[in-house]
Amino acid sequence: MLRYLSHLETMKMIDRLLRRTGIELKQTEGFHQRIKISFAQAVPTGIIDLAGLFVVTTFEAINHEYIKTANELSPNGFEIVKIEKKCEKFKLSKFVEGYEFKLLFLEKPLDLPFDVEKKNGIWIARIFRSFNSSVPKNGEYGQFLTIRSKVVTREVQVDKSTCGR
Amino acid sequence: MKVLKKLVNVLDRVQKPSRYIGGEYNSVQKKKSKVDLCLVFPDLYDIGMSHFGMAILYDIVNSSSFARCERAYLPWVDMQELMRKEDIPLYSLESYRPLKEFDVVGFTLQYEMSYPNVLRALRLSNIPIHTEERNDSHPLIIAGGPCTVNFAPLEKFIDAFLVGDGEEAILEMLKAVMNGKNRVQKLENLSKINGVYVPHYNKKVSKRVLPTMLKAPTAQIVPYTNVVHDRGVVEILRGCTHGCRFCQAGMIYRPVRERSVEEIEKTSKEIIRRTGYEEISLLSLSSADHSQIRELMSSLKKLRDISISIPSTRVDALSVDLANAVSGVRKSGITLAPEAGSQRLRDVINKGITEEQIFDALAHAKDSGWTRVKLYFMLGLPTERDEDVIAIGEMLQKVKLMGFKNVSATLGVFVPKAHTPFQFAPQIAPSQAYRRYKLIGWAHKYAKINFTDPRKALIEGVLSRGDEKIGEVVEEAEKRDLIFADWNEMFNPDEWMKIFEEKEVDLEHLMAEKNFDEQFAWDKIDVGISKKYLWLEYRRAMNGILTQDCRDGCTGCGVCQRFNVKNVLMGKESPRIRSLDSLVKDVEGDDN
Repeated sequence: MLRYLSHLETMKMIDRLLRRTGIELKQTEGFHQRIKISFAQAVPTGIIDLAGLFVVTTFEAINHEYIKTANELSPNGFEIVKIEKKCEKFKLSKFVEGYEFKLLFLEKPLDLPFDVEKKNGIWIARIFRSFNSSVPKNGEYGQFLTIRSKVVTREVQVDKSTCGR
Repeated sequence: MKVLKKLVNVLDRVQKPSRYIGGEYNSVQKKKSKVDLCLVFPDLYDIGMSHFGMAILYDIVNSSSFARCERAYLPWVDMQELMRKEDIPLYSLESYRPLKEFDVVGFTLQYEMSYPNVLRALRLSNIPIHTEERNDSHPLIIAGGPCTVNFAPLEKFIDAFLVGDGEEAILEMLKAVMNGKNRVQKLENLSKINGVYVPHYNKKVSKRVLPTMLKAPTAQIVPYTNVVHDRGVVEILRGCTHGCRFCQAGMIYRPVRERSVEEIEKTSKEIIRRTGYEEISLLSLSSADHSQIRELMSSLKKLRDISISIPSTRVDALSVDLANAVSGVRKSGITLAPEAGSQRLRDVINKGITEEQIFDALAHAKDSGWTRVKLYFMLGLPTERDEDVIAIGEMLQKVKLMGFKNVSATLGVFVPKAHTPFQFAPQIAPSQAYRRYKLIGWAHKYAKINFTDPRKALIEGVLSRGDEKIGEVVEEAEKRDLIFADWNEMFNPDEWMKIFEEKEVDLEHLMAEKNFDEQFAWDKIDVGISKKYLWLEYRRAMNGILTQDCRDGCTGCGVCQRFNVKNVLMGKESPRIRSLDSLVKDVEGDDN
């Protein structure tokens, strides 16, 4: 059900979750200090997001124990699946090539500009959209469910901002 | 999960769907329970989630060994339409269960304009709105909250009212329902509880009072949606001792019961830990009145990464000091409530502050760096004359000339309330309110003046002082979609006036001045303050005589004797309680 959160609401939810974990995180500058969190591209309200990304800066090393703690303090339906350490010059825009989306149809869709395969009585289309380009809207092609299923990262390093990954 | 399946079809098509999904962090899905309660706030989730009373009861019921509590709010009109189309009944956020399946459905009555919303919620739940139409297959419908001090307009719709503090009574009520084999038995059981009024079973009721505050709830639900007050809450004290004569809350929540600095600090830390909130609000009717407020502020300032907000409208230097303490470098606006423009009228309403104190506070605010000031006033207070209204304009002019960048004022029309000294006072008609408002048209160049719709005040007057017959007005209002009446975009005053006419509401009598021997619809509800005291206060108001803050000396209102309680002040001893008769004897020559 968390897909019905808007992007702003999702960001606020993550902010509070991070505060609950109690670790020190880099704050924004200025009068009203908040945790400095950089989010990758948003999805519109209503789309299931399995590929959300955000970047924070900690003052101590964190490991998989932290994932466990954070998930225990998360609301139902939200889970951190992976944490990766990046260097200071890291830029999300250079790291992410784009996203894979799955569009689910209850009936065989006709005249689609992409392929569909049938699985367990449901037709699924997989499409790729590059980073910061438009996202398929719920129902845009007649699908009943839209899932952002995977992050696709750049294979070749463009510059130091991908931190030698 | 029939509801859940249908919801998925619908949530893509409504505004702010996050308010209909539940599952918020700290929401409780209790597995086993012998009796199920659904608490309903009769307005949008955005408003209802900011209501702290529900958080208190939610915590108490879910912590009990035998009961479970879930929540519901009134969906916005777009969602209501889709729910009707798709046959989705009003459901609880925790388990998506239709309200009809609960043992008890409880409404909180926070303001009279929400009455039609209550009926709409029942309709959306497919629960008959009239008590006599319900049977063993329906939940018991109960109601609590400040409006229960005159529950007459809702007697036809509610099975049991709880007047006063709900913390202990709620569990007693749930036990009563659990132990009743059928509807009649449950109602009988409920009628025996202190503080509960069951129409046709009870003839009168006395409010329930907690002598001291109980443990505060700390695992507060963290909403996803952007709600009105999105922060952790600590209730630092309940009740008020000022005795402002217009204020119903100040009368019905007596006596004052403070929490200690240690407890408030401990509670705040726990809330931060369990919610991740970045701001805590110190809640009360007048937080600056806490007898240890300075100690409290310095102790809370030590909490890291958390900001404190303190709703306070006391007009004095202390308030400014507090505002300074909470805002740090960033100062938005400071809010003060003089209520009346002239000293004479301020004395009539017993708002014990002088012109000198007001301007001292403002000077202090300006020196501290505040550039924006907001002031609250009322129009139509008893004995108000044109010169009192003009004095509002003069005050605004003076404030602006002090050098504040932005001065704004909100003018509300005074509505006499039950169980206050001014329950005997007349209420001015909208036409009169407009006339008086125009008297300070010239002041617009000094301040931005907001004038709340006087027709809202008229309707509030009818609903808050009305008798059982007014229930017909409420019923008709819901039928005509006059829900969300408190929202400007939904407010339809002409339709309300039509209903008043059709139902032959005696507006003249409702708005007129009353005598001591007037039979009020709320006389059967005892909040501990004697009618004699209220009448005495009314007479003192007419003569501009002040009554002291009762933390400085008992004024004889009667509540402490009546319920065997007293003010609980952390920073000082509570004064000796005195009877009204002994006080009256002392003050010979008081006009009566």
